[in-house]
Amino acid sequence: MRMEWWILISVYAVSTGILFFIPKNKFRLAVVAILFKQVITFLIGLVVVELGLLEYPVRLFPSVNRTSFTYEYFAFPVICAAFNVWYPNNRSTIFQLAYYVGFTSVLTIGEIIIEKYTDLITYIHWAWYISWISICLAFYISRLFCNWFFAK
Amino acid sequence: MQMERLILAAMWLFGFAGFLLFIPRKDWRKGILAFMMFQAIIWLCDMPSFQLGLLSAPVREFPKASHLPITIDYWFYPILFSLYYVHKKVKGSRWPRFTYFLVWVSAITLSDITLERFTDLLEYKWLTWWGMWIYIWFLFYVSQVLCNWFFKDKAVFQTERRGI
Repeated sequence: MRMEWWILISVYAVSTGILFFIPKNKFRLAVVAILFKQVITFLIGLVVVELGLLEYPVRLFPSVNRTSFTYEYFAFPVICAAFNVWYPNNRSTIFQLAYYVGFTSVLTIGEIIIEKYTDLITYIHWAWYISWISICLAFYISRLFCNWFFAK
Repeated sequence: MQMERLILAAMWLFGFAGFLLFIPRKDWRKGILAFMMFQAIIWLCDMPSFQLGLLSAPVREFPKASHLPITIDYWFYPILFSLYYVHKKVKGSRWPRFTYFLVWVSAITLSDITLERFTDLLEYKWLTWWGMWIYIWFLFYVSQVLCNWFFKDKAVFQTERRGI
């Protein structure tokens, strides 16, 4: 089997693993974060692929869908859930900013490595900093939404 | 092509209007959660259905990026489910509640069949009308069970609100 498929399987495994670490009393927060993130990624993912900015040569449901189902439906939403569940609400602003930068950078670096060495994603008219900015923004919007959803 | 575009535009418009007009402000959380839940479920189910060739969408919004009918999957049916869910009676006897469910599911199936018959937005391949009926029934049922789980315990919901 090609390396790409092993990576996809391990992405599913790791994402599912993350779900098990979410504390029970925050599970609804995780659900809201996941669902909301899907609303964003579905649409943006379609737009960038339709415009030909990105390509996912190896993907699930290849004949009906050119976007990355794994990343947009599962991996990114789950990481977003983790982001919101463990968000350091009571820490200083600097720490919160670092939290954003940390999550965003880890995801972006992962994406750059995957882009470079595998056929899972290919940048066409794209650059790593567009990923970085859009991921960071997506985290921020999800945070706003979760705060509204669970506001008193 | 012209008519298909008009129908898609109408779906976006009526979706917006329906949500704003028929879901009271205090139920927005419930409505949006139902919307998102149904969207996640229909997306998950439609991917394999389209891949297996049960049905297809000849005229679609992102012809290159996806073979799925995005307006229907992403917007219109989730909004309809959200309207269904918010106005669903929680109390009362079983039969009126079941009739309510049945009417919604059948009405959506009927409109789906009409779209299939008279437009190029949808095309059933080896899916039949009763297959679609069961499919929508299934989508509604699963989404409803998950939403009910989410809102099951008001007390739990409240503590989680404080926890964020």
